[in-house]
Amino acid sequence: MDDQILLSDHASSLSVQAYLRMCGLPIQVVCRYNAEYMSPSGKIPFIHVGNQVVSELGPVVQFTKAKGHSLSDSLDDVQRAEMKAYMELVYNMLLTSELFVQWCDDATAGEISRPRYSSPYSWPLGNILAYQKQWEVRRKMNAIGWGGKTLEQVYEDVNQCCQALSQRLGTQPYFFNKQATELDALVFGHLFTILTTRLTSTELAERVKSYSNLLSFCRRIEQTYFEDKKLMKD
Amino acid sequence: MGTVHARSLDPLPMQGPELGVQADDVEALEIEQEPKQEVLENKNVVVQQVTIDGLGRTKDDFLSYEIAEVFRAKNLIDVMRRSHEARQKLLRLGIFRKVEVIIDTSRGEDALPNGLDVTFEVTELRRLTGSYNTMVGNNEGSMVLGVKLPNMLGRAEKLTFQFSYGTKETSYGVSFFKPQPGQFERNISVNAYKVTGQFPWSSLRETDRGISTELSFPLWKTSQTLKWEAVWRELGSLGQTASFAIREESGHSLKSSLSHAMVIDTRNSSILPRKGGLLKIHQELAGYTGGDARFLKEDFEVQLNRTLILDSVISASLWGGLLLPIGDKSTCIADRFYLGGPTSIRGFSMYSMGPQSDGDFLGGEAYWAGGLHLYTPLPFRPGRGGFGDLFRTHFFLNAGNLCNLNYGEGPQAHLKKLAECIRWSYGLGIVLRLGNIARVELNYCIPMGVQSGDRICDGFQFGAGIRFL
Repeated sequence: MDDQILLSDHASSLSVQAYLRMCGLPIQVVCRYNAEYMSPSGKIPFIHVGNQVVSELGPVVQFTKAKGHSLSDSLDDVQRAEMKAYMELVYNMLLTSELFVQWCDDATAGEISRPRYSSPYSWPLGNILAYQKQWEVRRKMNAIGWGGKTLEQVYEDVNQCCQALSQRLGTQPYFFNKQATELDALVFGHLFTILTTRLTSTELAERVKSYSNLLSFCRRIEQTYFEDKKLMKD
Repeated sequence: MGTVHARSLDPLPMQGPELGVQADDVEALEIEQEPKQEVLENKNVVVQQVTIDGLGRTKDDFLSYEIAEVFRAKNLIDVMRRSHEARQKLLRLGIFRKVEVIIDTSRGEDALPNGLDVTFEVTELRRLTGSYNTMVGNNEGSMVLGVKLPNMLGRAEKLTFQFSYGTKETSYGVSFFKPQPGQFERNISVNAYKVTGQFPWSSLRETDRGISTELSFPLWKTSQTLKWEAVWRELGSLGQTASFAIREESGHSLKSSLSHAMVIDTRNSSILPRKGGLLKIHQELAGYTGGDARFLKEDFEVQLNRTLILDSVISASLWGGLLLPIGDKSTCIADRFYLGGPTSIRGFSMYSMGPQSDGDFLGGEAYWAGGLHLYTPLPFRPGRGGFGDLFRTHFFLNAGNLCNLNYGEGPQAHLKKLAECIRWSYGLGIVLRLGNIARVELNYCIPMGVQSGDRICDGFQFGAGIRFL
């Protein structure tokens, strides 16, 4: 649902798509307005393979590994630990920032997030669900200590995260030199979405744009793995 | 002249009063034709005054309609009959605990020689009553705690709070009921509720939060109900092994619908009737007053009963329904019909018939079901006249079908589809009547015409509920 999906969900979804394409597995993307509720864990995206339903990138990676497809087999233990650490960084920093900007910033919440979230439902159900989601995310933010942060602080966090990623990437094509791993898929998903999503202000995208190697990284992955598909969304 | 106490009159006529004698608590007596009584019956009387004693918060104007008829009585038997009817009318308002009628000769300066005064002595219900009940629904049981405020504003308004915890669902609600003064059968009620239910046959969990307004009125011999309802439905899968078809139904939706129901009920009892019939037609149109769900739903219920020789009763019933989606959205599982189980087609598991996916039953958009029963007293009639009368043996034949219709085809194709692959079953069992509310059955069933995917329960099957096919 192009007019329903939000930044954070699209980022997660794109990460999983990128990962599966990198594995060379054929996929079909289906949009459903109730995907969040269909998912066994309550989070999107999820994949439906035969009789099984697996949601979120971590379990999907495990699932494909069990079926014999893996991108990180050639990594040694040190590298694998490093990969996990950077993935955690993306989850804790980038994803949380995305959620913060979407739901805790009143302007964005009112103009973009709530209208989009409530679009498939009729009044007053859409409003009720949108506000419920907003309260839920704000509660979570308070629980992890982000409740008191300002937008500027969050942008700074994004900046630092991008700096760390940029330094790790350096001039290599992928994070672990020649081969794409799930970390590349995850970073691509989030950065590309941030760059191409229209929000109330362009600050978030600007922070990412200031790192040119991240920009070329995103472009490279898009051209290599998504050449057959138009990825731009508003 | 003496005093006549007319108390607790049930079936009329009663023994003619002898002068100076009180007739208390008389039930089912016959008129003894005595010459003295004839004189009394033919004597013209005038009801001069009708009083209601014991009113607290009830408003006078409200009750004047119920007792108006008493003034029209022309002779003594008529007075008694109309007083009795007025008493029944006062009781059905649900605001009095007790009503007693006293008919006396007129006293005072205006008293006519043939004048009578009728007094209704009433005891109002308390302002706040609590209740605890156990309820039997269709094959489930629940504990119901209630708080009721009867006669809240003096004109038989009723405010009820209810909390129910059951084997399959938990719910709570508040309801406000107001009858029209003078016409109790015309009433309006407003409800708000939250109901959660679990349906293991579909691996589905449903939470409904809704409000509704209902207007009931009698029309000629029928009882009509108009209702507007808005429900926020939340569906989820029950357990991790739910099929993908059920997963696809998860989520939220809003249904706002207008419905109409018409009921004609001439049966002598709703549980194990001996004669009479029932016709119930219900239609629901959703989507034109807002909401996500858009459909037109029709269903009907017909039942006919007849007593045969030797205290046996033959009963035939037919149910049917149709769900027509409007627009291009497909129907929601929460709106579809289900069939099967000890309360509909016996011999099949609860709601385990018809379209299914991986063992989860999805319900159907059209169905019909018919039943033919022969009820007889227990063989050898044990406990006759007492406990044994609550039990009946019955022989039954049930048949029906549940399917989805492709609305692009014509009605001929639909009828053909409903007529093929009919499921049916026969058997016998024992029925126990629980008061006037519910019935319990233990049957031995033989299901036939079983289609692949249906779940059957052949052999002994137990069922409890209020609405049986």
